[in-house]
Parts: sequence; C-alpha cells; structure tokens
Amino acid sequence: MRAWLQARLYRAGLDLAYLAIGGATAVLAFGVWVGAVTVTLSLLVFVVGLPLFLLSAIVFRWTTELDRRNAALALGAPLRGRYRDHRGEGFFERLGRTAGDSQTWKDLAWLVLHSLVGVVFAAVAVGLVAQTIAVALLPAWYWAIDGGVDVGIWHIDALGKALAATALAIPLAALAMALLRGMAIAESRLAAALLGSGPGSEPAVAEAATGEAPRRAPSRVDPRTLLLGQAALSGLVAIVVCVAWLATGAGYFWPGPVLIGLTILLGLDAGLQAALRGPERMRPLAIQGAISAVVTATVVAIWALTGAASFWPVWVILGLLVALALHLLVATMWRHVYPDARERRLEQRVDVLTRTRRGALDVQAAELTRIERDLHDGAQARLVSLSMQLGRAEERLADQPEAAELVRAARSDASAAIGELRDLARGIAPPILADRGLVAAIEGLGRRSPIPVVVEAELERRPPPVLETAAYFVVAEALTNVAKHAPQAGARVRIELDAEALRVEVGDDGPGGADPEGGGLRGLRQRVEALDGTLAVASAAGEGTTIRAVLPCEW
Amino acid sequence: MRVVIAEDSLLLREGLVALLRENEVEVVAQAEDGEGLLRIVSGHKPDLAIVDVRLPPTFTDEGIRAAIEARRRQPGLGVLILSQYVEPTYTSELLAGGEGGVGYLLKERVGDIPAFLDSIHRVAAGGTALDREVVADLVQARDGGDGGPLGLLTPREQEVLSLMAEGRSNAAIAEAIVVTPGAVEKHISNIFSKLNLAATDDDHRRVLAVLTFLRAGE
Repeated sequence: MRAWLQARLYRAGLDLAYLAIGGATAVLAFGVWVGAVTVTLSLLVFVVGLPLFLLSAIVFRWTTELDRRNAALALGAPLRGRYRDHRGEGFFERLGRTAGDSQTWKDLAWLVLHSLVGVVFAAVAVGLVAQTIAVALLPAWYWAIDGGVDVGIWHIDALGKALAATALAIPLAALAMALLRGMAIAESRLAAALLGSGPGSEPAVAEAATGEAPRRAPSRVDPRTLLLGQAALSGLVAIVVCVAWLATGAGYFWPGPVLIGLTILLGLDAGLQAALRGPERMRPLAIQGAISAVVTATVVAIWALTGAASFWPVWVILGLLVALALHLLVATMWRHVYPDARERRLEQRVDVLTRTRRGALDVQAAELTRIERDLHDGAQARLVSLSMQLGRAEERLADQPEAAELVRAARSDASAAIGELRDLARGIAPPILADRGLVAAIEGLGRRSPIPVVVEAELERRPPPVLETAAYFVVAEALTNVAKHAPQAGARVRIELDAEALRVEVGDDGPGGADPEGGGLRGLRQRVEALDGTLAVASAAGEGTTIRAVLPCEW
Repeated sequence: MRVVIAEDSLLLREGLVALLRENEVEVVAQAEDGEGLLRIVSGHKPDLAIVDVRLPPTFTDEGIRAAIEARRRQPGLGVLILSQYVEPTYTSELLAGGEGGVGYLLKERVGDIPAFLDSIHRVAAGGTALDREVVADLVQARDGGDGGPLGLLTPREQEVLSLMAEGRSNAAIAEAIVVTPGAVEKHISNIFSKLNLAATDDDHRRVLAVLTFLRAGE
C-alpha cells in the first residue's frame, strides 16, 4: 500500500513539474510565434522576409527543443525531433527545404497551441496543488484570516472545524492527482504527435520469435480505456461537485467553471484520440480540427454562462475556420508543389513491391506445377513409350542373346531416367500435393518416413497452392532432420488453418539441441519469409526439437 | 482374356494396345477419361481394366476414383492401375475395396514385358500385383530398419515376404530368388509363424494377410 502511494505521489510530482515548466515555455512560445509570424509575414513582401523566415524556423526549433526535453518528465524519455538535413545547401534550396519540412510547421502549430493551452494547464495544476496544501495545513493558518476562512461550503473559524476540514485534503489530493495526470497526458501526447519523429514516439517492442506472425507493436495502455477512465472520473467529480452545491443552498453556480474545465479536458482528449486514429496524411488537419472544435465549444459555453449577450464567439469561430482553411490550402498546395515527398514515394514503393512479390510467387508456384505436369505428360510419357518399344524389341530378339542383352540394358537406362525424373518432380512440386492437397501429402510424408509420425490436421478448406507448397517442404525438411539426427525419436505434425494464417508445427521427442541456422533450416526460413511468414525453432537440449511456421493467409 | 484400357495419352495407349495384342491379349475397348471407362466396362464386361491414375478433366486422381467405382458396379472386375508415381494413399484405397484382383504398377514396368504379362494374368485371375516400389514403401514404413517384428526375419525371409506382398506365386518367387519351390514353402511357413499370421493356401488371402500386417504400421 505504501509503495503504491509513494509511486502515485512521485508521479503526481513529476506531472506538476512538467505542467509548471510547460507553463513557462508556453509564455515563451507565445512571444516567439507572435513575434515571428508578425515580423516575417509583414516583411515577406520585401526580400528581407525570406531570411527572416529561415531565422524563425531555427528559433522555433530551439524553443520546441525545450518542450521536447520537458516531455521526458511525462513520457520517461525526451522526444526526438526529425528535421531535414541542410548541410551544404545554398540559400534558396535551404529555404525550400525548410518550408517543405513538415516538422517546421508542426513546430509552429505546437508553439501556437501550447502558448494557449500550456498556461491554462499550468495555472490549473499549480492552483489545485496549492489549494490542496492549503486545506491540509488549515489549522496552521486559519486564525490569521479575519472573519474565518471559507472552504467550499464551510466556514472555518474554530480549531475543531479546522481539524475536521483537513480531511477534505484527501479527496482534494485525489482530484488533483487525477487532473494532473490527465493534463500531463494530454499535453505530452500533443507534444509527441507534433514534436516527436513519428506516430507515437515510443520505441517499438520487439516480439520474441515464438512463431507469432509479426504485428505492429501494441501500445502499452489502450487509449480508449484511458478515455473511459477519464470520462468516468470527470462524471464522478461533476456529480460530487453538484451535490455539494445543492447541499449548500444552491446559490451562485460555482461548480460551473469546474464542469467547464472537466469538459474541456475530456473533449480535448477525445478529440485528439479521434484525430490520431485517422490516416497519417490527415493527421495534422484532424488534430487542428479537434482542437478547434473544443475551443469553439468552450467559448460558446463561456458565452452562454456569462449572460448570452451579443454572440461574440462568432469571431473566434471565424478565426478558427480561417485557420483550418489556410491549413487545408497550404497542405493541398504543398502536395502539388512537392509531389515527390519522400514518404509518399516510400509508400508507393512498398505497395509496388508487395504486389509484384505476390505476383512473382504466384507465378513461380504455377510454373512449378506446370513443369511437373509437362514432365509427366511429356518427357516421362515418352520414356515409358520408349521402354515399351524396347521391351517389344527384346521379345523379338529372343534368338540373339547379345542383341537382346543390349536392348535390355537400354530399357534399364530408360527406367532409371524415369525414376530420376520422378524424384525431380517430387522435389519441386509433389504430385499428390496438387492432386489431393496438403493433408494427404503430409500423411504420405509420414508414411514414407523411417520414424513413426503422427499427423494431426483438420483443414476446412485448401489454402492457396503457394502456402501448401511452403508448408509441405517445411514438414518434409523437418522430418528429414529428425530421421537424420534422432532416428530413435518419434515425430508429431500439427497443421491448423484459421482466418489469419496457416500454422505448421513439427515436434519430436529426440535429444534436441538443433542448430537453428543450419543449412536446411535457413533455406526453409527464406522460403517462409518470402511469404511474410515466420519460422521459429525451439530446441533445448534434452527436450526435443519443435519447428513452428506461420504463413499468413492474405493471398 | 478381355481387357479395356483407360489412358489419355495417345502415345502410351497405342503402345499398350500394340504390346498386348502381340502377346495374345484382347483389347476390347479404349477410353480417355473416367466417364469413358465406366461406359466401356458396363458395355463390354471385361475381365480386367488397365487404368491410368491421372485422367481428364482435372488430371489429379480421376483414374483411381473411376476404377473403384467400376469395381463397385462390377464386382470381380480386375483393376490394374498404372501410375507415374507411387503414393501410399492410393494403395490403401485400392486394397480397401472388395473382391476382384488388384494391381498397382509404375508405368515403366510395362517395358519388362514378361513381368507385365504375369501381373496382368494374376490380377485378371483375382490375385494381386503390387509394384515392388510400393511394397518397399510399406516395408520401410512398417519398421524403419531395426527393431520390430520384421527384424525377426532373416534377410532371405524378408525378400520372400516382399515378393509375397507383390502378389507372386510360390513358383514365381522360387524363380526370382533362384531356389527350389520347396525352399520357398519352408521360408513362407517360417515367416507366417514368426509374424503370427494365419497360414493359408489361397494366394489372394495370403497377400492380404501380409499386406494387412505391413499396413498395420500406418
């Protein structure tokens, strides 16, 4: 219990520090972006504006670096920004590059947003903590205030009441910690999205090779759960606060600001989450949209609560819409002016490679089957016919034993050739695999193997031929290895097909200790990986060897 | 003996027909696919059907299916399957059928004419003719070398066992391993007692007993 409490307090302390420092950088950010934008924009018409633009970008970079370092308090490690490399470029190239670098604009976006939100967060954070401490220490100072102290609904003017009131510090502290956490998460997430070097700058988690198909690294905590938690907590706080207000006579609706604050936080977090879930391309626009929506709602709510006179929020809304439109315009233009943006190129290349590799493997599988069929119908048939004719010739030479012997030798050669072609065909495209399917082919392998093999396989449908072939050769190689290195052992083959992948497992109860990089296994791994699959070998000494292959079924 | 042939390759079909006719075997009809086979079997009621495993339209295992169906419709029909390759799955399915001779040979065996003819006559007479590759497969699968009941047999006895599984008669076995028929009989009774098989004079039953024993390893 104590360890949990300590961890919580430590976390809250970090959050407070993060938000407080964030408040300071927010003030700085305000000065930076207002100054940069006004000066640069106004002088852009003159040539002087251009180098000023570059200068601004550099200043943005320095300023945001402070926030990146600060983020370490909330995220555990500082964020890393990624900027385009400028070395050795002329002025105009550098100008173009900086203007085209999305990070420059992300920096600006961050500075603007942070300057507005960061101060608010810092104020709330410090205020809450101060409030909590004040209530906790109430007995020490209540007597210094003339006329007593108001703590919420109670009027404290005696020591007894002061002591009782300190109990309030506990729920206040809990509320403070929760809100600190919420704000720190919101701010640091925004920082990560805008200042980090990729979606979610957390390092990817490497999956252990246990035969699982490779997936994108899952986030450590499901953001939706966090959002639900925040909503629940906000609801709880709202209810408590409203009940308190009712209980104290329902005068001026002081829970108003509290509710507004909670709603802003919730809206911001929900909006950002929704925005971050969208496609990568639309992300900056989506984030701006989400924040604009929240700001609009806030402003309208304030308008409603402060008398609902002339609709002054209309200016704010207009401003936000203009900003959104500008963003959209710039983004579209940018896409036209820089059609060969590096990310786009890479994405296209990956698409092309995936498609062509799929095509190549399908073509290869079809060709091998065709080769086997051609061998069967063509060369092998001709050799059989040859064999028949030689046999008939041999019959007619019954009275010339030497000639008959020659012919018999020729027939024997033809038979050998047929046998070799047959083995070749089985090595590249086993006929029974194409004819009867994977399960029958594996059962055949089991029968033909010198060691006892148990086959457990139930497939409701036939997987694509290319996967069947790969699976077949995995099992064939695995069984050959067992027979070679552990002839006393028995083997078991299990095959499963589900919506995602074909899974093959070959296990034996031999001595184990196989070399996962051995020649045959390496070739198998290449074959399996060419299909986006994985091959895992588990072979502890004394525990037998198990080979697991997972072949994804997206074909 | 009246024979029908189901083979889609013109080259092989004509070769077979010529070979058989030269050796006084009558080929009464030919077919190119499974449907055709069933038609000519019901039409001509032959003693033996020689069928290729791979036939149109899918060229996978039409031959086996058609042969099994033909035997169902005409019990007692001898069926000899010719194949480019040996797959133990097909062997089991064939042997599981009912009465009538059964044969499974690799196509190149037809070049060895005396052996081929011997197989044909055996199957038409209700006996068995399994390719020695098939038997070798079964033997290897049964015990895989050392240990197991087959290890009780002497090498000579294992040879005789394989030849029995192929379906050869005692006389043929004697000729194949160059011993007297009496020696062969002695080997056989030793084998049967060592493997605990019921002795029988009936050739077909004998083969079945041996094959059942060999297939017990599956």
